[in-house]
Amino acid sequence: MNPWPFVVGAYAIMGIGMAGIAGVSWRAMRRAERAVEALRRR
Amino acid sequence: MAPAYHNYGAWGEPARLWLESRASIDYPGCAVPILHALANPARFLKLARPLTPLCFWCGVVLALIGCWAGLTRTPPDYLQGDTVRILYIHVPAAWLGMAGWGGLAVASFAYLVWRHPLAAIAARAMAVPGALFAALCLVTGSIWGRPTWGTWWQWDGRLTSMLLLFFVYIAYIALARADADRGGDGRIPAVFGIAGTVLLPVIRYSVVWWHTLHQGQSIGLTGSTIAPSMLWPLWFTLSGFTLFFAAIVLMRMRAALGLQKAEARMRRMAAA
Amino acid sequence: MKPKHQRFVLAGLALLAIFGASALALSALRDEAAFFYAPADIVGHLPDPNRSVRLGGMVKQGSVERQGDGVTIRFVVTDGKASVPVRFTGVTPDLFREGSGVVAEGHFRADGGFTADTLLAKHDERYMPPQMAGKMHKTESLKP
Repeated sequence: MNPWPFVVGAYAIMGIGMAGIAGVSWRAMRRAERAVEALRRR
Repeated sequence: MAPAYHNYGAWGEPARLWLESRASIDYPGCAVPILHALANPARFLKLARPLTPLCFWCGVVLALIGCWAGLTRTPPDYLQGDTVRILYIHVPAAWLGMAGWGGLAVASFAYLVWRHPLAAIAARAMAVPGALFAALCLVTGSIWGRPTWGTWWQWDGRLTSMLLLFFVYIAYIALARADADRGGDGRIPAVFGIAGTVLLPVIRYSVVWWHTLHQGQSIGLTGSTIAPSMLWPLWFTLSGFTLFFAAIVLMRMRAALGLQKAEARMRRMAAA
Repeated sequence: MKPKHQRFVLAGLALLAIFGASALALSALRDEAAFFYAPADIVGHLPDPNRSVRLGGMVKQGSVERQGDGVTIRFVVTDGKASVPVRFTGVTPDLFREGSGVVAEGHFRADGGFTADTLLAKHDERYMPPQMAGKMHKTESLKP
């Protein structure tokens, strides 16, 4: 059995999962901190 | 005056006011000054702001070096061949799935004892990334199992207990959300977080206590049964993924703190 | 005692109680949670032949023999204390080797042998490059 499709698949899923959570967490943080900033200026 | 801070059992208005008041308060009679200094949200944010990108980029660079070395710089295994390369992501995922719950439990314990809102925020911030890494551990392990064992999934002790940990994460996330929606003080999810710790030794020792399909522990306190020429990229991925995890937790804590502050400010503006 | 200390002690006690209860439950589960029987586990009391069970251990060195039909193999599973002869018809996993771990799913026969429907290769915790393995112990592939 050729192992490379399994290896590449595993690394790809890992990369997608980590990029996904980084993106979601970053956006949530930015949105919350911007809201605080906007309220402070008002 | 007794520090009113100790009476913040409720996750309600007093805690919000306290978060609002931010720096320049000192708590007379504090037993653990350093911990309490860190526990001040303003000081926490001062530390977290530069730490977030630092952890994130160091983590990404280390993880990429580890993955690259694991894919190209190490010899294939004498039995598994190139399939062994999945190890370099599977082991860090398993470590973070379990360490994530360990951190969540410590924060929950701190919250229950000292009733500090920041500890509750930290515990909740670790749940989603912990669940993700537990899931990634299961998926990468399954992909490794197909060419190695000849099966995607078997109900052996190690696999079943790890799947259980994933479900416990999901239950915690649902419980914490329901508690927050109901306006609860976060005590119930904290108790659940501590109780779930039972699974960690079960996962760790499942391969010792029971006959399992999963192999025994390769890396222990006394050494490793992985050849040194194959082991070294694992240290890069382990440290890199851990720093990445820390960055994600910091981001989520900052998001939760920001949301809380914005809510409190809106409420005050509506009252004025 | 300050309420903070009271909570500390209470939480600690609760934690201990949870761990104690789980330790008891786990020790009761000990035999049920095993994924397979090792040959030494079933000496003298074979599982019911009609029951589907798993047998695990090492494939004994030099025990694998291919039958005339080309798809049936016989080999011996051992754990060092006892051994069981196994018969299997089908495709073996890539990592099935003499001297390596195996888990067979199937049932025991009345004569004490085991008929396997599925074979799973069980990997051990050692990882090493081929040059090193050659020095440490010989592994022979079944495939020509």
